Amino acid sequence: MSTHVLGGPPRSPHNVGPAPVEHEPGFIRRYVFSTDHKIIGIQYILTGLVMAIAGAALATLIRLQLGWPEHHWLWLSRLLPVGMPSGVMTPEFYLAVVTMHGTIMVFFFVSFVLVSGFGNYLVPLQVGARDMAFPFLNMLSYWIALLSAVTMLASFLVEGGAAAAGWTAYPPLSAVAAAVPGSQMGQTIWLLSMALFIASFTMSGLNIVATVFSVRAPGLSMMRLPLTVWSYFIASILGLLAFPPLTAAAVMLLLDRHFGTSFFLPSGLIIANKVLPNTGGSPLLWQHLFWFLGHPEVYVLILPALGIACDILPAFTRKPVFGYRISVWCLVAVGCLSMIVWGHHMFVSGMSPFSGEYFSLVTLTITVPMTIFGVNMLASLWGAKLQLTTAMLFSLGVIALFGSGGLGGLFLGNATADMQLHDTYFVVGHFHMMIGGVTLLATFGAIYFWFPKMFGRMMNETLGKLHFWFTFAPFFLIFFMQHFLGLQGAPRRYYAFTAFDYLQKTRGQNLVISIAAMVLISGQFLFLVNFVWSLFRGHRAAANPWHATTLEWTVASPPPHGNFDAVPVVQRWAYEYGVQTIDGDFAVQTVPSVSA
Amino acid sequence: MKTLEGWLVSLLFAGTAIAGVVYGSGIRMPELASRHGAGIDAMLAYLLVTVGGLFLAGYLALAYFIWRGVRRAEIGPRFATRKTEILLSGALGLGMAVIAEGGVLAIGMPVWQEYFAAATPADAITIDVTAQQFMWNVRYPGPDGRFGRTDPRLVDDSSNPLGLVPDDPAGKDDVVTLNEIAVVVNRPVRIQLRSKDVIHSFFLPNFRVKQDAVPGMTPEVVFVPTRTGEFEIACAELCGLAHYRMRGFFHVLTAEQFENWLRLQSAAAGGR
Amino acid sequence: MNALADDITLREDQMRLGLWMFLATVTMLFAAFTSAYIVRRSGSDWRHVALPPILWLNTLVLGASSVTLEIASRAGLERRWRAAGGGFAAALVLGFGFLAGQIGAWRQMVAEGVYLPSSPHSSFFYMMTGAHALHVVAALAVLLWSAAATWSAGRDVRAWDAQVGLCRTFWHYLGGVWVFLFALVSLY
Repeated sequence: MSTHVLGGPPRSPHNVGPAPVEHEPGFIRRYVFSTDHKIIGIQYILTGLVMAIAGAALATLIRLQLGWPEHHWLWLSRLLPVGMPSGVMTPEFYLAVVTMHGTIMVFFFVSFVLVSGFGNYLVPLQVGARDMAFPFLNMLSYWIALLSAVTMLASFLVEGGAAAAGWTAYPPLSAVAAAVPGSQMGQTIWLLSMALFIASFTMSGLNIVATVFSVRAPGLSMMRLPLTVWSYFIASILGLLAFPPLTAAAVMLLLDRHFGTSFFLPSGLIIANKVLPNTGGSPLLWQHLFWFLGHPEVYVLILPALGIACDILPAFTRKPVFGYRISVWCLVAVGCLSMIVWGHHMFVSGMSPFSGEYFSLVTLTITVPMTIFGVNMLASLWGAKLQLTTAMLFSLGVIALFGSGGLGGLFLGNATADMQLHDTYFVVGHFHMMIGGVTLLATFGAIYFWFPKMFGRMMNETLGKLHFWFTFAPFFLIFFMQHFLGLQGAPRRYYAFTAFDYLQKTRGQNLVISIAAMVLISGQFLFLVNFVWSLFRGHRAAANPWHATTLEWTVASPPPHGNFDAVPVVQRWAYEYGVQTIDGDFAVQTVPSVSA
Repeated sequence: MKTLEGWLVSLLFAGTAIAGVVYGSGIRMPELASRHGAGIDAMLAYLLVTVGGLFLAGYLALAYFIWRGVRRAEIGPRFATRKTEILLSGALGLGMAVIAEGGVLAIGMPVWQEYFAAATPADAITIDVTAQQFMWNVRYPGPDGRFGRTDPRLVDDSSNPLGLVPDDPAGKDDVVTLNEIAVVVNRPVRIQLRSKDVIHSFFLPNFRVKQDAVPGMTPEVVFVPTRTGEFEIACAELCGLAHYRMRGFFHVLTAEQFENWLRLQSAAAGGR
Repeated sequence: MNALADDITLREDQMRLGLWMFLATVTMLFAAFTSAYIVRRSGSDWRHVALPPILWLNTLVLGASSVTLEIASRAGLERRWRAAGGGFAAALVLGFGFLAGQIGAWRQMVAEGVYLPSSPHSSFFYMMTGAHALHVVAALAVLLWSAAATWSAGRDVRAWDAQVGLCRTFWHYLGGVWVFLFALVSLY
């Protein structure tokens, strides 16, 4: 067991010989308060999956309300007496549900499972290290993350309910308690939870960057790294630099809410018939600070998804990814560009039109590296010998949704088009396709692909494939249609579309979407059953069931504590498929290369 | 079995794309009713066509690669030549840049700049719209063409929602309505937006007009309505519980109808 | 074979890298506060409040603590452990002195009737100096850790120097941030 307190004996890949033997730690040290990156990764994944269930439950509520606006769901009124008295959702509950659905899904599902969970699990293994650079910090990051998740869920229980100003929490709505019930204690707890989350993410990010920089196995140059590692590396740097402005904004919002300051609150506000004493603050300041994080954040989420897909694809095309070097540069370019385009969320905010022009032109340059990356993924299928395993199906879905979702970005980054589309369902459709679709499918692909490595058992392929069919088709339908709801003028965050004549014709489409949503959510039970069943009854997994090339497949499933008996010496690139070796049509990275 | 699966997955992606294009082609935006809106619609139409084409092409390519890939017994060449990689990436990256940036530069920016930079025409009707939870307070300047001063401390939601200062002569002839705006067809409209409490957004779907009403700021929109009729105003920024029914009415009338309407509103308000 | 030395070097490199990345995030935090300050500064209701002169003393104290830390570091390299230990003790005292002085400054302002919401200037002042002070608390913990290593017996000079290097970087960085913040709230 690693007792990696700062200053203790270092764990180093330069150690030769077997991993040091220590006496067996107890269950608690081994599986609960563990500093082993694999356990921490699994902890993040399991916690994130639980939060996903919460987020999905909230989504179900949203779609029930929008699909059947006047229906009385009597059985729900027993479960949620305050939020749905006599079976009809109150607007205050709806807004809390919408806000928390977004917050939970972005930070406590995708970030937990994909970024922190798989990041922690895969990065040390794929760079040939025994563990992360700072294992103790890693453990701390998980427990703080768990605390932040519990805090966020607890906000439902306070007076006024959970925060209800949207996951974007724009003041004054989020700053004044009387503006909406969720802006009572719910919003404060939201801010505190986010502060804890950011602290946890910072620790995690530091770890990943330090590990990739300093703990790579001998022979593993940066350009031999799997694209997964590259994507986590860049996403972590991005997160480290982008989160602090949100911390700053959150502090200012807390001060405005509880200590009478006027960072975001202008003069002359009249809420609940009272003139507020604040003067001179700017609501736009919050938006700038929030989106300075908010935009890079979506790339923090999507880059690992893309990297993971690029690792899964070649295992089932049996040939290398197309354009590896170029794809690396695309990831770097996207990372950099993503930090200077936040204003495209603010085209109609009252920001100067000149800024709007700048943000529009620069935002659309992101289409270049993203297109190249996407085409590289697609081109990786050319000349391929395809095996349609479950993991592969989900990765193909990643390519598809990345394409369609990304193309929607051309509309929203275009300031002129955005004038009509801002704050409509076009935006909802777009971001769900990207951070709901690409990341979700990549997460599932990752689970199906690495479950054997993590737990030493195979998941059921038939259930898995069924899961894919129950997921891709309804998912696409829902969010593709929402783009067009936006074109028809349907605004976001509407409790119902019944109050406007021009929106009446969206009623049928909303019904279809809600039905598809119920199919989508039901289909996830296939996954849950498969996951839990396979943990205990899945077929035992070999070390390398997919005949893949990266370093994690050279050790047992699951890997022992310390990962590698002897430190691997890397001789090859990460995608040596299509070469004949004793293993078959591929060479893991440690196989000596034929001298060129 | 494998080829059957290949067929199914191929058809999934191909079918999805075709169904998507069919569905999308049948969708209509709210009927256009403004001059600059034609430019926005042109931008959107350009994007729908180009993006729609790329979307269809991409999904069909994906479907084809899948269909082909399950049939292969051996992989093709492991690597494309470096030249192919660069050419393909370069060509597609450049192509996308041309489509995206080209669209913005050729169509988008001129529309945007015209909309924002153009000086307000002299014959514009100026209207002051103050948003609040959950209604639109509308004010016309009256014959003197000037708006009276307002003071938040004088606000009373039932009798003086705008907080008009009673002794201000400029305000004596202001015409105040609730959730009702009328304008003259083909005559420029200038709307000054304010907010009393939280951020709202003034959204006229038919006119392709959207502007956040931010407390502490007074952003403006200027546009020309080109069709008579009755249209709706919606709020497009989450503002609280009744955000979904913060509805206003936007009447585009002939000049004569407008004068009648204004006179009626003025009379209904009574003296002050 | 110098495997152990390599191990220590790697560890030092990792810690140094980790620290610099952490400082990058802290820089972004204060950059965000600063840009908010600059935006707000242009508002019509900006009212500059008088800042208590003790802040100048606090600045000197913090600067002195950096100096004593450097003296301690140099002494340790030359194995003059008494001097090094003394330098650390001085740095700690001065560090805590800085915090005490900051608290003193806040109390003086409150006594003058200048509170957190009194004016945008005072809001930023309290907030930014508060954030800085929190980081100083963390840095004091690191300083204490290095001091303890200095005071204990049987040190490997190289390892000690690396550890103290981290401490110095963090401490001087916060000193630099303070000078910047003080200049910002005083002059702009």
